[in-house]
Amino acid sequence: MEFFTNLSDKIGKKLEKGRPFHFLYSTYDALDSFLLTPKTITTSGSHIRDAVDMKRIMITVMIALFPALLFGMWNVGHQHFLSIGEDTTIWQSFGYGFLKWLPLVIVTYGSGLLVEAIFAQVRGHQIAEGFFVTGFLIPMIMPPDVPLWIVSVATIFAVLFGKEVFGGTGYNFLNPALLARAFVFFAYPSVISGDAVWISQSADVISGATPLSLVMNGSTSVLPSNWSLFIGTIPGSFGETSKIAILLGAILLIYTQVASWKIMISVIIGGLLTGTIFHATGACPILGWQHLLLGGFLFGAVFMATDPVTATHTQSGKYIYGFLIGAIAIVIRVLNKGYPEGMMLAILLMNIFAPLIDYCVIQLNIRHRKKRILRKKIQSHFGK
Amino acid sequence: MYRIRRGLDIKMTGSARQMLEQHTPHTYYVCPPDFRWLKPKLLVNEGDSVKIGTPLFCRKEDERIVVVAPVEGTVRAIVRGEKRAIEAIIIDRKDNSETSRPVDISETNDANSLKQMLLANGLWPFLRQRPFSVIPSPDSQPKALFISCFDSSPLAPDYKILLKGKKDEWEKGICILKQVIGPSPIHLCLRKGDDNTFFESTENVDIQYFKGPHPAGNVGTQIHRIAPIDKGETVWYIHPQDVVTIGRFFLRKELSFEKTIALTGPKMEQPGYISTIYGADLSEILKNNNVVSHFSRRHRRHDATLRAENIRYIAGNVLTGKQMTEFNATHFYDSQVTAIAEGGEREIIGWLLPGLRKWSFSHTYLSWLYPSQFTNKENNSNFLIYNTSLNGGRRTFMMTDVYDKVFPFSIIPLSLLKACLTQDIEQMEELGIYEVDDEDFALCEVVCPSKMECQQIIRDGLFLLYHNA
Repeated sequence: MEFFTNLSDKIGKKLEKGRPFHFLYSTYDALDSFLLTPKTITTSGSHIRDAVDMKRIMITVMIALFPALLFGMWNVGHQHFLSIGEDTTIWQSFGYGFLKWLPLVIVTYGSGLLVEAIFAQVRGHQIAEGFFVTGFLIPMIMPPDVPLWIVSVATIFAVLFGKEVFGGTGYNFLNPALLARAFVFFAYPSVISGDAVWISQSADVISGATPLSLVMNGSTSVLPSNWSLFIGTIPGSFGETSKIAILLGAILLIYTQVASWKIMISVIIGGLLTGTIFHATGACPILGWQHLLLGGFLFGAVFMATDPVTATHTQSGKYIYGFLIGAIAIVIRVLNKGYPEGMMLAILLMNIFAPLIDYCVIQLNIRHRKKRILRKKIQSHFGK
Repeated sequence: MYRIRRGLDIKMTGSARQMLEQHTPHTYYVCPPDFRWLKPKLLVNEGDSVKIGTPLFCRKEDERIVVVAPVEGTVRAIVRGEKRAIEAIIIDRKDNSETSRPVDISETNDANSLKQMLLANGLWPFLRQRPFSVIPSPDSQPKALFISCFDSSPLAPDYKILLKGKKDEWEKGICILKQVIGPSPIHLCLRKGDDNTFFESTENVDIQYFKGPHPAGNVGTQIHRIAPIDKGETVWYIHPQDVVTIGRFFLRKELSFEKTIALTGPKMEQPGYISTIYGADLSEILKNNNVVSHFSRRHRRHDATLRAENIRYIAGNVLTGKQMTEFNATHFYDSQVTAIAEGGEREIIGWLLPGLRKWSFSHTYLSWLYPSQFTNKENNSNFLIYNTSLNGGRRTFMMTDVYDKVFPFSIIPLSLLKACLTQDIEQMEELGIYEVDDEDFALCEVVCPSKMECQQIIRDGLFLLYHNA
C-alpha cells in the first residue's frame, strides 16, 4: 500500500509546476485520484465529511445502468440473429452485442476524455468524473450499427459545446449525452432514423421498425405484446428496450438517493396524463400507459431527465420540470410523426427551461418568506 | 411543539458520561478570534499582573465591551499572528489563587445599571446576536432572547450535567437577563422527551419544545421557527452555562469564570466532564487522556506532533469546532473538546469498494446495511469510521438534492450559497441570509459530495453584509 502511495507522490513531484512534463499533471492527477482515494484532510469547516464523493455517485449511476446494458447487449445480438433467421444460444447473442458495444464505448471514452483532459489541463482543473457517465450513456442511446466516426464527432461536439465552453461539468445546461444523440439525429439523420437502423445488420427482407415507429405509422396491429415491450425483446438501442432492467436501475438510484425520485415520478405522471388525453380524444391509437413502454421514454425518465446538473435545482421545480418533460415528450410523439423519439427533444427543451423554472420557484420562495415573517410578527404581537 | 424533520444525527462513540476531576492548570489563553469580527484594542502589556475581571482588551469601536482575565496572575505573552493581529493573550495563573473574586455590587432592578455591571465585569460578551453571531451593542434592543437548552450536535454535552446543582444561579441569571432585555420575551428551547425538570420550573420565560434531529438544538433553527429575523431586527442568544456565570455574579456576589467542559470523541481515552476555568490550557488533561502522546505544553505550533499521533483535537464539536493547534484551550463559547482520528490514508480504488465501514448519509456505500444506523445503539457504532478525510476532491455544485435533506429552514440553501458566492447582496437578503449563520450550514457541508466549504461561503456572505451595514 505504502509502495503505491510513495510511487504516486514521486511521480506527482516530477510533474509539478515548472517541470518539463507539467502538461501531464491533470492527467496524472485524474489517474492518481482514480486509483487511490485522495489524501486530503479537512482544514476548515466541518472536521468530518461524508464518504460519498462525485466518483462514488458516478459509479453508482453506472451500476444502475448495468442491468439495462447487459440486457441490451443480449438483445442486440438476439435481434440480429432473429432477423437473419438463425437460432443461437444466449451467449452467442450476448457475445455479438458485446462486440458491437465495445468499439462504441472505446471510441466514446477516447474522444470525450481527450477533450476533457485538454480542457482540464488548460484551465488547471482536475478532470471531473462527469464524463464517465456521459461516456457510458452515449453508446447506450445510439443505434448498434452507427459508424464509429460519427459517434466520435458527436461525442466531441457534445463535450465541447455542451459542456466545456460553459466552464465544464457542473456549469453545463444541456445533458451532454442527449446532446450527442441530438447531434447525430440532426446532422446524420440517416444513421439514426428510419426502419433499418435499429437491428444490427438485419436481413433486408425483415423490417427493423421499432414498436414506436410502428405506432406512429398507424400500424398498431403488428405491435409486439405489452409483455415483450416490458421485458424488452424488441428492436432498439442498447439501453432503452428493457423496461424491467431500467426499473431495476431506477430502484438503485432512488434508494441510494443519487437521482431524484421527484423527477422520475413526475415525468411518468406527465406522460401518462398526456397519453391518456390523446387517447381519449382519438389522436393516438394506443393507451396512455403504453407510451411508457415505447421507445426511450422510461430510459430518459430514469437516467436522462434526472441529471442533477441540467435538471431544475429547486425541489418543487423538479415536479414541474419532470411533468413537462413527460407531457412534451408525448406531445411530440403524437403530433409530429417526423420525430418519433420525442423524449430526447423534450428533455433537451426542458433543460433549457430549467433555469426559468428555478427562477420562478426562487421568486415564490422569496414571497413566501416575506409573508411568513409578517405572519410570525403578527402572531407574536397579538399573542397566539 | 416544533417538529424538525430535515436534519441528521451523527452518531459517534465517545460521549461524555461521568464527571472527572477539577482541572485548574497554570496557563490560560484568552483568544480574541473567539469573538467574531471583533477588532481588539489591548488594555494590558506583557508582564502586567491581572486579577479575575481585569480587562484584557476591548472592542475598538465600542470600548464599553471588554473581555477580562479569567484568573489571577501575570500576562506571560501576547501572541500576534498575520498582520500583527492578536491571536492570544497567555496568562500564568498565580499559584494557589482563588478561582473566584468577591465583588462589591448593589442590588438594583435598573436595566441600565445591570448592563453597566455586565459590561464592566466582562460578562456582556456571553451574549451574542443574530444575525452575524457577534456581541450585541449594549444600546440595541433585541426582539427576543433565545436560550437553547439542549445541544443536538454530535457527542454534545448534556446540559443537565453542565448545570447540575446550579439551579439558584440559573434562576438568578434568567431574572437578570429578563431585566436587561425589558419587554422582549426569553424563549427557552427544550427537547421534547428529555428530562426537563431543571428548566421547566423557570419563571418569566416562554418554554418551547423541539423534536427531531440535529440541527434542532441550534439557536438558528429555533429562531427561524419561532421568531424569524427580518432585516434590521436582532435576536440575542446565550449558552445556559453562561447564564449560570451571570447568575453566580449577582447571587453570590463573586466573579468566577468556572465552567464544565465535556471531553468527547472516539479517540478520547476517557470521555467525561471536567470542571475548569474558561481558557484553561488543556494539554495536560488531553495528554493524560491518551496512551501515546507527546503533547507539548510549551506554546509553539505542533501540528506535526499531532499529525504523527493521528489524532485531531477540536475545540467544539466536529461540525463547527476549530482544530486545536497552538492554544489547547476551549473557545469562549464552547464547552466541548472532541478528539477524532486524523484521516488521509489512501485506499486503492476506494470509490469502487463496498465501503462497509464508511459513514455516509447517502446509501451509496454498503454501510447502511449496518443496523446501528437504525437501532441507535451507541456502543456498536464504533464500527463506522469517522475521521478527518475529505473523502473526495472539490467539485462544482452538482448534486442539488442533498442540502435540502438536512436543512430545516424555509430557505433554498443552494440559491443562498450561490448568492453569497456571487456577492449579490440584494439576493442574499431576499433569500434569508439574516436568518442563518455558518453553523446552520454545517450539515450541508458534511453531506456535500462536491466537498463545498458551505460554512465559509456563508460566513463570507455575512461578513460582506456586516461591513456594508
